[in-house]
Amino acid sequence: MVDSAKAIEVGGLTKVYPPDNRAVDGVTFSVDEGEVFGLLGPNGAGKTTAIRMITTLGRPTSGSITVFGLDVLKSPQDARRMFGYVPQAISADGDLTGYENLLIFSKLFYVDKRERDGRIRDALKYMGISDRGDDLVKHYSGGMVRRLEIAQALVNRPKILFLDEPTIGLDPSSKRQVWGYIKRLNKEFGTTILITTHDMAEADELCSRIAIMNLGSIRVVDTPEELKKSVGRDVVTVELPPGGNATQIPAELGSVIGSEDGVVRISTEDAEKAAAIRRYYEGKGVAVESVSVNKPTLDDVFMKYAKSSIQEKGTMVETRSLRRSFARFGR
Amino acid sequence: MNNVSNFIHSALAIVEMEVRKIRHDSTELWTRSVQPALWLLVFGEVFNAVRELSPEGYTYIQFITPGVLAQSVLFVSIFYGITLVWERDVGLLTKLLSTPSPRSSIVVGKALAAGVRGIFQAIMIFGLALVIGVNLKHDLMNVAGVFMVIILFAMCFSSLSMLLASFLKTRDRMMGIGQALTMPLFFGSNAIYPVTLMPTWLQYASKVNPLSYVVDAMRALLLTGDYANLPADLAVLMVSTLVLVTLASTAIKRLVE
Repeated sequence: MVDSAKAIEVGGLTKVYPPDNRAVDGVTFSVDEGEVFGLLGPNGAGKTTAIRMITTLGRPTSGSITVFGLDVLKSPQDARRMFGYVPQAISADGDLTGYENLLIFSKLFYVDKRERDGRIRDALKYMGISDRGDDLVKHYSGGMVRRLEIAQALVNRPKILFLDEPTIGLDPSSKRQVWGYIKRLNKEFGTTILITTHDMAEADELCSRIAIMNLGSIRVVDTPEELKKSVGRDVVTVELPPGGNATQIPAELGSVIGSEDGVVRISTEDAEKAAAIRRYYEGKGVAVESVSVNKPTLDDVFMKYAKSSIQEKGTMVETRSLRRSFARFGR
Repeated sequence: MNNVSNFIHSALAIVEMEVRKIRHDSTELWTRSVQPALWLLVFGEVFNAVRELSPEGYTYIQFITPGVLAQSVLFVSIFYGITLVWERDVGLLTKLLSTPSPRSSIVVGKALAAGVRGIFQAIMIFGLALVIGVNLKHDLMNVAGVFMVIILFAMCFSSLSMLLASFLKTRDRMMGIGQALTMPLFFGSNAIYPVTLMPTWLQYASKVNPLSYVVDAMRALLLTGDYANLPADLAVLMVSTLVLVTLASTAIKRLVE
């Protein structure tokens, strides 16, 4: 098992909640050292459950997890020495200042006493929050709290950083900022990063490899480029009138990768086929409102492998708890 | 050895976390001292007139001061699990449990933090007792002994509360169970009246009531100077603390699963 020691190796990971909810079902993947690996999937796909088992917060029903050759299930405490974990919900303590948050958690992480203060000040500066370091975190904006949580990784210097939906609920500019910090953390410290997300743009921006998960299992693992190629060279989007729903088309025209609310997305090897596709629908007596051609995005990849819309499956509980955690920091 | 020093280091970091929070906002501590003040100033003063309530040679206020002290520490500790539930709801507990610090050190740290709050209550009550002229022993050794009893007592009941929180998991249920526990414990103990006045069945119940041992120890240290029962009182307290801390440490992960 200790061969070239992959950063993370997960084999047959399974979590069954009684009576028979297979939240994670036989997941197998490995992450190389220094890699940014993405677990992508709709809400409820089992990403968070998987990440919680790897970080020793939940116990798997079956399966194996090793990090750098260490059996996580046998030595959870030693494994946690290598981990940094930023949960989905905001987890900094609002009743402490930014500096104090970093201080306490660096102590719980056993960061060397002589380096502690220097690292904390550097991390605050690096994340652009040194002027707010002495303010209570409950007065921070959502983006600042996320930066503080990533600053914790700079102080603790974990070998593997787990980020569960790191930019969920952030505005576009804070999101870009956080992406920038994640990339720098990976480049400058060589931190291996495992990230879960349902944001395709985020996965495309950050990840060197992506595993697409749905209903508890991994459908495909590859680089974003290869995944996009696997969809075809072009994607034709056909808009049909409400109620118009023709999901089958002849194979020589392309293949349907997604269809909802009368919008059909078809992957094809040749953009020229767009006209033929239009003719095919009209020939079947379906009025076509518009046809457009785009390069494939990870959204298309996602539709192809997960076959369900991302927004559709968000559970009430999840949405509510997230709103609540952000509301705490709203000003 | 390294493990032990890491354990202590982590537990103290948790205490520091709580103390820093109190430093930012100590409202809770002050409001919590209103109730014991009422017990002393109103209840104590009125019942001072009832002769049978106070044992030979002591005023009733003297008699209940240790009882009120124990009661206020009990209130601080028994609801301590609510903090844990709150930390779980906001995601903080997940983060605490994902650190390499042993889970038992986190539980011990939190229990000690409850002790710190208890000490604050004690200082307030001592201050008030001094102002209204309650005659208590206040040599250094006696006060130090009382503080030690308070810390053990707070650790014991905050661990019980954390243990309950691990199973009940919501604030509402914790409020309910807290209320359901405190009153029987309080009225079924020797805190505000001597055991000898109780009906026989209640006398037996008070023998298994941990609060009675705490009050007994505090009364010995603050009033009577009769230390005969003290070792037994402390032993009961220490053993139950150890058991509850251990149970709470293994149960706490239920809150994040």
